[in-house]
Amino acid sequence: MSEIFRRIRYLINRRRFDAELESDMEFHREMAARAGRSNFGNTLRMREQAREAWGWTWLDRLVQDLSYATRTLARSPGFTVTAVLVLAIGIGVNVAAFSLFNMVALEPLPVRDPGSLVRLQRRSPEIISSEMPYATAKFYGDHAKTLSAVLTMMGARLSLEDDLNPVSTNFVSANFFKELGATAAYGRLLDTERDEAANAPPVVVLGHEFWQRRFGADPDIVGKVIHLNRRPVTVVGVEPYGFPSLDGEGAEVWLPVTQQPYFVEGSKALTDVSDGTVRVWGRLAAGATASQAEQELLGLTNELRKQYPKDIWKDEYIHSDPGGHLHVMEPAMYKVAEMVGVLTLLILAVTCANLGGLQLARGVSREREMGIRLGLGASAARIFRQLLTESLVLALIGSVAGMLLAWGTMKVVLANTPSPVWLSATPDWRVLAFVVAMALMATLLFGFAPALQIARQRQRKTLARQLLVGAQIAASCVLLIVASLLVRAAQHALYTNPGFGYERVVSIDPGLGRHGYTPAAAEEYLVQARSRIEALPGVTVVSLVKFAPLGHHTAREDTEINGRKVSIYPNSVDDRYFQAMEIPVLVGRNFSPNEKNAVIVSEALARRQWPGESPLGKKYEENTVVGVVGNAHVNAMNDGDSLEAYYPVQPTDMPDMVVLVKSAGAPDGLTPMAKSIVDNLNPNLFPEISLLKSGFRKDMEQVELVASAVTLIGLVAVALAGVGILGLVSFSVKQRLKEIAIRMALGATKVQVLRAVLRQFVWPVTLGIATGAGIAAATTGVLRNSLYGVSNLDPASYMAAILGLMAMIFLAALLPARRALQLNLARTLHHD
Amino acid sequence: MADTPKSGMPAGALSMLILRVLQSGSLHGYAIAQRIHLLSSEVLGVEEGLLYPTLQKILVKGWVTAEWGISETNRKVRFYRLTTEGRKQLKAELSEYDRVTQAIQEILRTA
Repeated sequence: MSEIFRRIRYLINRRRFDAELESDMEFHREMAARAGRSNFGNTLRMREQAREAWGWTWLDRLVQDLSYATRTLARSPGFTVTAVLVLAIGIGVNVAAFSLFNMVALEPLPVRDPGSLVRLQRRSPEIISSEMPYATAKFYGDHAKTLSAVLTMMGARLSLEDDLNPVSTNFVSANFFKELGATAAYGRLLDTERDEAANAPPVVVLGHEFWQRRFGADPDIVGKVIHLNRRPVTVVGVEPYGFPSLDGEGAEVWLPVTQQPYFVEGSKALTDVSDGTVRVWGRLAAGATASQAEQELLGLTNELRKQYPKDIWKDEYIHSDPGGHLHVMEPAMYKVAEMVGVLTLLILAVTCANLGGLQLARGVSREREMGIRLGLGASAARIFRQLLTESLVLALIGSVAGMLLAWGTMKVVLANTPSPVWLSATPDWRVLAFVVAMALMATLLFGFAPALQIARQRQRKTLARQLLVGAQIAASCVLLIVASLLVRAAQHALYTNPGFGYERVVSIDPGLGRHGYTPAAAEEYLVQARSRIEALPGVTVVSLVKFAPLGHHTAREDTEINGRKVSIYPNSVDDRYFQAMEIPVLVGRNFSPNEKNAVIVSEALARRQWPGESPLGKKYEENTVVGVVGNAHVNAMNDGDSLEAYYPVQPTDMPDMVVLVKSAGAPDGLTPMAKSIVDNLNPNLFPEISLLKSGFRKDMEQVELVASAVTLIGLVAVALAGVGILGLVSFSVKQRLKEIAIRMALGATKVQVLRAVLRQFVWPVTLGIATGAGIAAATTGVLRNSLYGVSNLDPASYMAAILGLMAMIFLAALLPARRALQLNLARTLHHD
Repeated sequence: MADTPKSGMPAGALSMLILRVLQSGSLHGYAIAQRIHLLSSEVLGVEEGLLYPTLQKILVKGWVTAEWGISETNRKVRFYRLTTEGRKQLKAELSEYDRVTQAIQEILRTA
């Protein structure tokens, strides 16, 4: 330890110690001279060697290298600015992507003790459910000792007064706000003592933004009575501004979950254990770990099984995830994050290959400088270190610029999307650490190989340059192909027939099951609703379906057919569904009324299951196939591989059914008429009425957004690669000016000259494109289910990307190469 | 580290010799070199280029300290003095050296 302190003392007082050392050696020399000896060595060098014992030589050299690097960079501002800009883009894209990931998955929620929050999910080896029955969640809350609190949340849509649009509602456990450490903006928030009892007076807390929008930010609203689903309820307070809710689930109104039956007539959501209704979070008790909690909850689940043997699944357990972030990352989200990460790293690769090429080119123009330094006795290692330091300085400046770029981008994104107000674009320590890591990585990527080549005086070798060009082109090629696939998918989704008609259909979801309707009562309601709606002018078909097209709910079965993994979307429909949705019956027949044990499959499912055979009469899971219909991915628009199986609606399905209404003309006018009919049938149901075409549009907007974002990234990469190739070609023209001039003087044609200049780039370009296309083909399989049925090997997309890239390369190469043809022969040949 | 100048001194021996000649009292750099030269019956010479790096090394190690004094030629110069730690180090190095030379001589005698 003391040795380190002494060393530091030597560092701090180095001037004094150096002077003392000098004086010692001076004295030594005087004495030796007296004794008649005079063969002294190089004093400066000796002193340097003596100083090495202090252990700070590396720092001296670093400081020297840094100051030399800054001077060199300052002396060639053109190169420096280009390099910093290119790096800023390459690193900025990565930092922006990481910042987003950080916001969603890493940054803790600004609530009380976010680290001890866990999200709880009901699972078994076969099933994952994001919701659990309220009664079992309450059981866990009452009995688990490893959890100090259990928070529950049930989303709903209620009607407020006579407003046209329903308000988004969260029924939450009374401890919700207190556990998250929130305090009311006005009045009070929900409270365990006053609001938890089922017979407590009904109260509502208003969402902050909703309070501003709907009630004009009136603080006197506290204490007033409003009506939700026509039930009177007292406003007790307003949620704090920017309240960070769990998993990003904000709401316009907050109600105690225990009062849910008061607002939703006939609801059995609090007592029914057969179906999940609430999302659940827990707070770990002091000292308890998540795995201890999972262990205890498993024991409690087994106890629940004794009470409800039918409703607890085989091998059911409760899974926990860290809950104190904006979102709990699901495996599918990690996949997306990985994909984005790979794409942005490709941009960095293009950037670095680009800069590497520039560095090599500069190495040639710095040959004199390097020659002088080597001649003065610098070792190759020292020159290598010097060049790497230069790259490091560049990378640091570029990273800071990139961070600013990312910060600006994030600010714009946050300002223009409905994101939680507490999210800030300001980089935190994780982002800063990421920026530093990026800078170091970039230094190695673009600085290492060129520095090595230059230090070994091999900068004129073309192989390194060719490799860099090839790498750039391969990476840009992958990016362009992915972008063009997504653009194709968006166009395909927009402009080709999705296999079903959505323009003239209205869906009405009465939510009979939510309101405790029995199958018989539900059937009666639906028969009445159908006959009244059919009587409306312009209505052509009224149909019933369990999972409405483009709706909130779907069922999916992941299975294997003949060794291939597939997703099958089952649905229960009546005999008018195919007519209402304009799905053609290709083979066989439609369902007949009250049919049983029959199934109709989609064309793709039939082909998978019984390739080359007629599916009619075949057994499909104990049901007989009676017909084959066209593919219509109504429940998974983006997955071109999805398969559909339709079952005839059974009396027990009735409480879950949604009504589809098809009109002869535009359906917009149907909505108010349909609303008055269903309100008339039961004023306490508040059905959700929506136009299928608006759901479709919303879906399309998302596709277009993703496609344009990836296209932008792809274009950035291509532009970077273009700049890089432009620079390299113009450099290699400059390097060979004399040779070219001699060739031309000897009578070479323009084409011959061009060929001589560009020949070295033919192989790297060809190999780069081939490698890029290969990588794209091998890796885009993960995109399949978001390409709307476009194959990930779609030749048109590949051709478009490759042709675009080649055109760009051609332009970038030809522009500087043309200079070679406009040479002033006399001047070039007379030059030095 | 850059290349060190050649010398007739076995590696590592110089620091032990410096510590040994300082045992009897503090000396300046030139005197250390002289003393080693004389005591070795003028066999061992200590080059300036080796003496000062070694001195810096043992200074950093804390085996000796340097303080200002006046030389026999009336010049202000630094005198090096053995510290307690240096004494310990010298003892350890001497016994290690003895062990090794004995072992070597054993081999030379019997082989």
